[in-house]
Amino acid sequence: MNTQQRLQHLYWRAGFGMSPKGWSSKKKHSTQKAIDELFKNAHQASKRKVVKNGNGIESSEMGMSSKADKKEKRKQNKIRVGAHNTDWIMRMGNPDESALLEKMTLFWHGHFACTTKIPEWARKQLNTIRQHALGNFRELVLAIAKDGSMIRFLNNQQNKKRKPNENFAREVMELFTIGRGNYSEKDVKEAARAFTGWSSNLKGDFVFKKRQHDFGQKIFFEKKGKWDGDDIIDMILEKRETSEFIARKVYRFFVNEKIDEQNVKYLAQIFYDSKYDIEKMMRAIFESKWFFEEKNVGVKIKSPVELLAGMIRTFEVDFKNTAALIFIEKALGQVLFDPPNVAGWAGGKSWIDNSTLMLRLNLANVLFQNSDLNIKIKEELEAQKRNKRKRNVQASVNFTPFYNLFKRENEKLLLDKMGGFVLQTKGKLNESTFEDFVIKNNKEDLVKTMCLRMMSLPEYQLM
Amino acid sequence: MKRRNFIKASAIASTSAIVPQFLKGVKATNIERSRQGKNLVVIQFSGGNDGLNTIIPYQNDLYYKNRPSLGIKANEVLKVSENLGFNPAMESLRSLYDEGLMSIINSVGYPNPDRSHFRSMDIWHTASDSNEYLSTGWLGRYLDSNCSGCQSPHHALEVDDTLSLSLKGIAKSGFAMSNPNQLKRISDNKFLKSITHHHEHEHEENVEYLYKTLVDTQASANYLYQKSKVHKTKVKYPKGAFGNDLKQIAELMTADADIKIYYANLGGFDTHVGQKNKQARLLKTYSDAMSVFVKDLKNNGLLDDTLIMTFSEFGRRVQQNASGGTDHGTANNVFLMGGNLKKKGFYNSAPDLKKLDKGDLIYQMDFRKIYATILEDWLDASPTQILGKRFEKIII
Repeated sequence: MNTQQRLQHLYWRAGFGMSPKGWSSKKKHSTQKAIDELFKNAHQASKRKVVKNGNGIESSEMGMSSKADKKEKRKQNKIRVGAHNTDWIMRMGNPDESALLEKMTLFWHGHFACTTKIPEWARKQLNTIRQHALGNFRELVLAIAKDGSMIRFLNNQQNKKRKPNENFAREVMELFTIGRGNYSEKDVKEAARAFTGWSSNLKGDFVFKKRQHDFGQKIFFEKKGKWDGDDIIDMILEKRETSEFIARKVYRFFVNEKIDEQNVKYLAQIFYDSKYDIEKMMRAIFESKWFFEEKNVGVKIKSPVELLAGMIRTFEVDFKNTAALIFIEKALGQVLFDPPNVAGWAGGKSWIDNSTLMLRLNLANVLFQNSDLNIKIKEELEAQKRNKRKRNVQASVNFTPFYNLFKRENEKLLLDKMGGFVLQTKGKLNESTFEDFVIKNNKEDLVKTMCLRMMSLPEYQLM
Repeated sequence: MKRRNFIKASAIASTSAIVPQFLKGVKATNIERSRQGKNLVVIQFSGGNDGLNTIIPYQNDLYYKNRPSLGIKANEVLKVSENLGFNPAMESLRSLYDEGLMSIINSVGYPNPDRSHFRSMDIWHTASDSNEYLSTGWLGRYLDSNCSGCQSPHHALEVDDTLSLSLKGIAKSGFAMSNPNQLKRISDNKFLKSITHHHEHEHEENVEYLYKTLVDTQASANYLYQKSKVHKTKVKYPKGAFGNDLKQIAELMTADADIKIYYANLGGFDTHVGQKNKQARLLKTYSDAMSVFVKDLKNNGLLDDTLIMTFSEFGRRVQQNASGGTDHGTANNVFLMGGNLKKKGFYNSAPDLKKLDKGDLIYQMDFRKIYATILEDWLDASPTQILGKRFEKIII
């Protein structure tokens, strides 16, 4: 694999692909330099970035308002959570933002899957995740256990000494840390007791409700003690199974859906030995030989968000009407801040059915030509009316940087060169597939139509 | 990594002249076959239909006590048994009931019910326990189970633009199509045709999966388009999207299309406010369209081979709220229709309004018993394998 291919693979997996500008400035970098730069940018970004409000003042709780007020507030909240959603995708697609940090945040957002309806809380959770995304996993789990949205989502505000609610304790183990088969039902019960009183106030800040907490003795993983939530998390992290569970999930997301047990073991070892240092594990992936092996390149189906962010990054797509962006997310099956359930998005082939595939293959046309999305998405379960069928996507695209990359290219080499940039799959493109579908009037039209056609290939769905 | 070898051919020249092996193979499995055996139609009420105002316990004082203004007066109820009757908007379903083409199962639900729309719909779609999270639907897993005929991509058809979780499997999924003409237009895209024509089967697994899905979609689009032209129904369906969806289903079924499962949706049942008129309108839409649909199938000799199941993610609170509506509840009624029902009329006794759980009905039947029965008796599949555990069968 040549340097260009290595860099592109790195940028797709550690981010959302390369922008044409980024490509011009980085193409001479060694892989190691590119990796270092990704981490450096992530460090700088995590210190300065706070997601701004959607628009104006954010509402939070419903309080004692009238029915009509509540309805209006719910509507406003929905719009503002939507604003955080699109703000985030635009950030993922912005070449000036840290790709790695946003990618890591997206990973953890899917891992600690949580539906959030209050905009301020959504922002808070996102910032919490972003703060720890490349930090220490223990800190991250603890911060999530103290996150208002998560506490509500998994009913821990109802987890009280006299009537424990096991929901949070169960998911912490089953989905967030150690995985099924490594604990007993008794452990769930005892862990739930340890998390009693972990609640939040109306602003979504963590509150420890002493009177609801069970200070008594618990037996967890066969150890006796007056354990609280922190102790439980520590005891879970002490088990090597936890490092393996997380390493496996990270591998699936960043490397390949098909697990190589040896590689996972290697990562888990590093993760465990570093006391759950996420950055160390991520570096180990990108600096490994196997990360760049051909069997791991161009084989992952992009999630809808990765697909969109990738297009935005390459072509500086701007949506005049961000509702259209959310509409596309919905139609493709991935809405940020609204995962299907606490297990997150299943990923892989499950993104694809006949309806989502046709939309994916047509998406570049829609964005580049401002055409209508002639599709009806499922109505919300609370909706009273059927959704309208057409949705006009008003997007603008800056094609110039991309064109500049190829304007001096020999026409005969154009297909190969451009294919090498747009597609991650390694099959050689054949001119006859394209020849009747590109406009050859001038170079710019040729580059543009050829690029559009490439983005309509099934291969473009892979990274 | 392997290189693609493309067939040297002009892209548009060949609709029939040069058909790559791969495309041929897929076409061959689809187009020759036609409908075999029994059909299943699933109708989903989205938003949580108020079952107690659908099938009304008009002899029960507790019902009127809990619903002083929302309760439907006994003299308005369409009485079909000594203690239960239909909502007045369901007049057109009455004859189906009288003819024994309908079975109503009361108090269907699951343990530890979830009152969130999304979660509860998830549970009905995936057939999971309420504390279990699955990413495949019960019908999707049926498609994955090597069932006979399942290799056809439109074996399970949802009449909509997007696909429900119910129909999503791992290796296979159902097919979404709201309108055959539109689908044909989209899949007739010349460039997409060109790439499948030029594609050869020697790729990495996911590339191949995408191409396979694309080729299947193109083939199915053609097939469904042709089948949709075979038979135009002579009966008049009510205007509106739901009536159209059922008409679509009836026409495909009558044309002997190779489709085993049909799936359709009717939404808007989340009646927290001003329920009476809203629900009446929806139930009328449903009943009018269903009665035409069932008669249409009957006239074409299809009803004996068809089972229609209607469900909603939950029922609603027994007590009405202060806004002339009802809030999210738990157990609900499920309707079954067909020409060959073993147990006609009411399957079980009316819901118990005395023994409630926090103001909600306590389920009497796990919905997965219905699924298990459908899977084994109607779809010839193994329910235990698909549902992950054994559920007792019921009499359908």
